Amino acid sequence: MFFHIVLERNMQLHPRHFGRDLREKLVAKLMKDVEGTCSGRHGFVVAITGIENVGKGLIRDGTGFVTFPVKYQCVVFRPFKGEILEAVVSMVNKMGFFAEAGPVQIFVSNHLIPDDMEFQSGDMPNYTTSDGSVKIQKDSEVRLKIIGTRVDATEIFCIGTIKDDFLGVISDPGTTS
Amino acid sequence: MSIEPFNKLVKLAARAFYDDISAKGDNQPKTGRSDNRGIAVVVLDALTRRQWVREEDLAKDLKLHLKQLRRTLRFFEEEKLVTRDHRKETAKGAKAYSAAVAATADNLTGREGEEKIKLHTHSYCCLDYAQIHDVVRYRLQRMRKKLKDELDNKNTVQEYVCPKCGKRYNALDAIRLISFEDDSFHCESCNTELVAESDKIASQEIGDGDDNARRRRREKLRDLLQKMEAELKPLTDQLSRVKDLEAPDYGTLQAWELRASVVARGSNSDPSGNDSSRSGQGGTPMPFLGETKVEVAFSGVEEKGEIKSESAPMKVLPPWMIKEGMNLTNEQRGAVKQESKMEGASASMDLKDEKKSIGHEDDAKNLQDEYVKAYYAAILQRQKEQEEVIKREQDLSTNSILTDVDPSTSRKRQREDDGEGDVELEDTPTAGILWETFKVDLNVEAAEPSDDEGDDDDSIVWEEG
Repeated sequence: MFFHIVLERNMQLHPRHFGRDLREKLVAKLMKDVEGTCSGRHGFVVAITGIENVGKGLIRDGTGFVTFPVKYQCVVFRPFKGEILEAVVSMVNKMGFFAEAGPVQIFVSNHLIPDDMEFQSGDMPNYTTSDGSVKIQKDSEVRLKIIGTRVDATEIFCIGTIKDDFLGVISDPGTTS
Repeated sequence: MSIEPFNKLVKLAARAFYDDISAKGDNQPKTGRSDNRGIAVVVLDALTRRQWVREEDLAKDLKLHLKQLRRTLRFFEEEKLVTRDHRKETAKGAKAYSAAVAATADNLTGREGEEKIKLHTHSYCCLDYAQIHDVVRYRLQRMRKKLKDELDNKNTVQEYVCPKCGKRYNALDAIRLISFEDDSFHCESCNTELVAESDKIASQEIGDGDDNARRRRREKLRDLLQKMEAELKPLTDQLSRVKDLEAPDYGTLQAWELRASVVARGSNSDPSGNDSSRSGQGGTPMPFLGETKVEVAFSGVEEKGEIKSESAPMKVLPPWMIKEGMNLTNEQRGAVKQESKMEGASASMDLKDEKKSIGHEDDAKNLQDEYVKAYYAAILQRQKEQEEVIKREQDLSTNSILTDVDPSTSRKRQREDDGEGDVELEDTPTAGILWETFKVDLNVEAAEPSDDEGDDDDSIVWEEG
């Protein structure tokens, strides 16, 4: 699920950036530092949408670095248990398959894949129904449900299932191309 | 406290879950001779017939080796069916227990032997009925959940285990386990390829649990679930029966001993051969019990004295409190009562009515009062009768020891030894605990020192023993 929230961060700026475009430098550095990171509390920071305010800088003794407290608005993405996501399959093996929904990795183990799909090993490992009409392989798009999340301080990992109504392959690159 | 349904629950649970539990450790090879499966059931059954029991005694009763029993009990303790208590105790401590046992089981076997034990650690065990109820319910719930989860494959997190080092992972670790050499999962510590955990019940027989077997597995699971429900039906029925009942609770070992010895005191009053020895036993380990009784008695006596000296009949003593002995000790307070007693000797109903009219006229009409009156009258009459008997005996014999062997007077004889003056204080021995306290308080003035002596003597004897 996506959220638009305000976060705060203390930015340290090197003295060489002090000048006319200090603020731009600060924002650029903030984006570079923050976007794409993951915190266990808020999830993945997808994008910074604006700066709320920049506090007074504090020159640190000895180094000359200046610390600015910056409040910024950003879009975060945090997966939740029970949430339905669309994801792209990134890898298939006999234990199940991995899929990615943006920054988050999701593992679907083989017992959470419908019983009528069976693993086919080979050059392009895949899960296929007995009549061959549905096939899950690398780069397939699947709709899945998250049944468990593992949230560490700096990463989030999910396990999902496609063993439910309306879950499974959305479009198969193998058939369209 | 209805124990029977709970005992049945324990027995059912024992047969359902612990039937094939061996008392031997799992690492020991099972030979035909030492196969002692079913011992667990026997032990549990035996415990349903007991309360707190010392493990040595239980072993003796079951003709089991103590070690074997301990192993079984430790297992049950882990299973939360049994509470155990270990304590270092002297012969005296063992006494407290055997006194309690004597009170509940009414047998005094093995007491002499135990007196020799000095400061050994004794273990006691008892069924914990409330917890058993929960444990069994939890166990059933877990069984059902496991099967149902497996059946629906719902929200189960697949587990993986390393065949080499036995380390376990689950699907949430998958991202760390993936090895890009061959796309399968590898153990973090020994790099062996992991296998999917196959603790799934149905897959065990079918084999490696490959994907083709899944359909068959499903059917098997459904079968299993149905069978479980059918076979455990008696147990679930018993659980629902027991659900709203209050579980019997024996409390901790100490609490139980206390209670049991109180009961023992209560039953002391019946005239039996080992009466005196047992009362001493009950008294010594818990001297404070006796003390409290004495204190209550003192206050009662003082109160009575004050009121009577004022000669204001504001509070009329209930008839069953009036004794010949009291009248003798302070004459003036008993003036009214004695009169009434003289009259009442022939017709106790009249006497009692009279008293009621003096004391509380307003609530005399209550049915309850009527009942109380009748009860008092009955008690009074019995007292009278007995006092008369005593008097007669006293007249016959000298003031010293009686020589007749009448069982009803065996206790009286004992009392006479204590203090000659208060033979008349003797009351009917059958009126229960309340009565007991009164008996004690009446004795206090004259018999207290001698009682103390008796207790001291007893305790000294035990410490030596």
